Amino acid sequence: MAARDVLNSIKKRFDGVIQRVDVPADNRLYLYVQPEMIKEICRYVFRDLDARYVISIGMDDRQHSDSFIVAHDFSFDRLNVLASIMVNLPASRPRVECISDVVPAANWAEREMRDLLGIESVGCPNPKRLILPDGWPEGVHPLRKDVPWNYVPPDYDETKEYAFDAVPEGCVVVPFGPFHPTLDEPAHFRLFVEGETVRGCEYRGFMVHRGIEKLADSVLTYNEIPMLAERICGICGCVHSVTYIQAVEQATAIQPPPRAEFIRTIMLEIERLHSHLLWTGLASHILGFDTLFMQSFRIREPIMWIAEKITGNRKTYGLCVVGGVRWDISAELKRELQGVLDNLEKEWTQVFQAVKGDKNLQARTRGVGIADRNLVKDAGLIGPLARASNIPTDCRRDLPYAAYDRVDFDVIVEDGCDVWSRVLVRVREIFESIRIIRQCLEKMPDTPIQLNIKDDLPPGRIGISSVEAPRGESHHFVVTGDENRPRRWRVRAPTYQNLQGIPAMIKDQQIADMTISLGSIDPCFSCTDRMEIVDIRSGSQQVYTQEELLRLARQRND
Amino acid sequence: MQLSIAAVGLGIVNVVLAMGLAPLCEGILRKVTAMVQSRQGPPLLQPYFDLFKLLGKEDIESGQSPVMQRFAAYLSLATVLTVAMLVPMGGHTPLGKYSDVILLIYLLTLSGVSTLLAGLAAGSTYSLVGVSREMMAMLTLEPLLAIAIVIGAVHTGTLRPDQVLAGSVYHAGSFPLAGMMMFLIILFALQAFVGRMPFDTSEAETEIMEGPVMEYSGPKLALFKYARMVKLFVYCALFVALFVPWGQTGLYPVDIIILLVKILVLVLLVTLVAATHARYRIDQVIRYYAGLFGLALVALVFAVSGW
Repeated sequence: MAARDVLNSIKKRFDGVIQRVDVPADNRLYLYVQPEMIKEICRYVFRDLDARYVISIGMDDRQHSDSFIVAHDFSFDRLNVLASIMVNLPASRPRVECISDVVPAANWAEREMRDLLGIESVGCPNPKRLILPDGWPEGVHPLRKDVPWNYVPPDYDETKEYAFDAVPEGCVVVPFGPFHPTLDEPAHFRLFVEGETVRGCEYRGFMVHRGIEKLADSVLTYNEIPMLAERICGICGCVHSVTYIQAVEQATAIQPPPRAEFIRTIMLEIERLHSHLLWTGLASHILGFDTLFMQSFRIREPIMWIAEKITGNRKTYGLCVVGGVRWDISAELKRELQGVLDNLEKEWTQVFQAVKGDKNLQARTRGVGIADRNLVKDAGLIGPLARASNIPTDCRRDLPYAAYDRVDFDVIVEDGCDVWSRVLVRVREIFESIRIIRQCLEKMPDTPIQLNIKDDLPPGRIGISSVEAPRGESHHFVVTGDENRPRRWRVRAPTYQNLQGIPAMIKDQQIADMTISLGSIDPCFSCTDRMEIVDIRSGSQQVYTQEELLRLARQRND
Repeated sequence: MQLSIAAVGLGIVNVVLAMGLAPLCEGILRKVTAMVQSRQGPPLLQPYFDLFKLLGKEDIESGQSPVMQRFAAYLSLATVLTVAMLVPMGGHTPLGKYSDVILLIYLLTLSGVSTLLAGLAAGSTYSLVGVSREMMAMLTLEPLLAIAIVIGAVHTGTLRPDQVLAGSVYHAGSFPLAGMMMFLIILFALQAFVGRMPFDTSEAETEIMEGPVMEYSGPKLALFKYARMVKLFVYCALFVALFVPWGQTGLYPVDIIILLVKILVLVLLVTLVAATHARYRIDQVIRYYAGLFGLALVALVFAVSGW
């Protein structure tokens, strides 16, 4: 009883502070504690029990409990337990003690809570706005239930500008973004550079926040959300849809049929294959090694085709529904997939052999973008980034979901803490993914792929789920609600945590190493900002003002 | 001394050769790169179309000082074309009698200076980073070719291009140590002279967005691109003249074809190196040049002492 063990050790230390406990399964723990003690408990859990910080969630629960709820999620990787430490805050004055000084990784999440819900973190070390645009009026918090999803603030201040940090003495500013050929998505790193050396940086992101979470808890239904979740990210969409569905299933104690679990596992690994191959290509391109870029993409293409054969789409699989999946893998597809994997393994072995000994690549990546163990712990870094620093965290093994407990695979680690190690981790993980898919295809039982769910899902239940995305852990928090839709859905993409490690990783490095250091976390800004990439092609020559663009954007919606 | 009509005519022939065939070399480079990368690649003549298209586009003034920007674009192409007149092609060095190799060294440096001017004219942070990189690279790279030419001058006892640029580093047919060393050194530096991967740090699209040329578009960009292509052609011709001048028949058309074959081999070499390497960082680049520079100095000492 791992969850009980965790509970007991917290209980022993903080007797009488815990208000309510819920242990719905052996691997989940929900604790309601006194708000005054939240920081102490988080310190104990994070430092003494050595749990990994996952995310903090804020929620407007005034309609039900007349309070705001704040949840800090932690993962006990070695005990296979996900825990949520929650507090109820009075509706009139939602203030909670800031935990960023004991858990530095919580900084963004706390700022996000203040922006979107107006939950004040008392003592926040960097209380700048994170998500809301500069001109958004103070005191309007879009995720509160009394703000409609399509609310457009009449007193939006177009002229208000962002207040940048002061430039350190002796440094010049090199603006990296909002648009840069290696970023592909808007994000702004303001580098403070001395000569060719980066001395610090200021990050400004969330330029394309689209309020997906708000849509989910006010407009969509349970089975519509996976389609939207999938469009959070253009690369690891299936991860988000599976994570969401698992959180809902976990909240409502629905067990999908085994075949569905295997199919989810297979599609998640197919997605990892294409994502890692894509990353290898993009990282090579950043380093100017276009031959490996082109070869990776050539090798990747059959994966896209087989995904299209299975699901009808190269990328947006449309796979999940509550209680199962929508696409089956026939015997014919199984054979074809096996053929694709055999080919991939052969070709990738050649690439691996070539890359392994490439001195030129190593010259550019060894000792670059260092993330040591302390940074990984404090900033909550995950995925290949953590594994390249010799920290074997992997949700597939630590917090098993779908069919991962029924297959055999290795968690790849390297100990260089640098970009080169991250290259090796990702290149080697491709072989593990191939192994997993092969086992799944063999072991897949012959059961239905969907449950027939007729009843309404019970409201007010909490579900949390973590899935190992190609970039690290993707974590979703769901509270079920009425009208066939969740009351709150919080998405934490891996880049949300990994990006927070970037300033420390690029400090005192050369500008030339900035792009590959950033590239080495495989950043996904659309995941972090939670938006959908829209490609607008326009042949006409016209310069739009911000106002005109907004008007056009809103016209599209109407 | 008065310029003879023949010298002017041959000079123009050299310029026409360089301008006419440089895009073809670029096309071959792109096609072979595509083959290495399992791509189909653009048609062989694509660089001609590219230049033609760019030249026909609107000429936009931009950057901090548009006049200097325009000047830099003209300068970059003009210098490499002048160099073409000083380099022997098909057995003739058009301006051989009217100039010296010091002028050649100056012109080669000037083509680097045009990049600096372009970057300064743009005035953006990225172009300035590119300028500082270009400057660092120039300081360590340009002396290499100068040393090779000086060794040739030491061996021949003259500064006339038609005599120095005729395999003179080897000292009249024999194979002295200094000449062999310089051959290898310049072969290893050729990639850098023509500004291709892995030595294109001052442009580095994925780091500093083409650096100095970031503000260029339309016809001015065409001039820069053209200069870059001609540079590849001219440097290869220069390398041939200095180090592998053999196989001259004395028949002009045949000699030109032999030269083109040699250039083609060098272009293929440049292509393969570019396609199999990741871009070096500026400190790694400088260290590499510095190593070659040290060796070149040793070669110079050998040459002066008659080895």
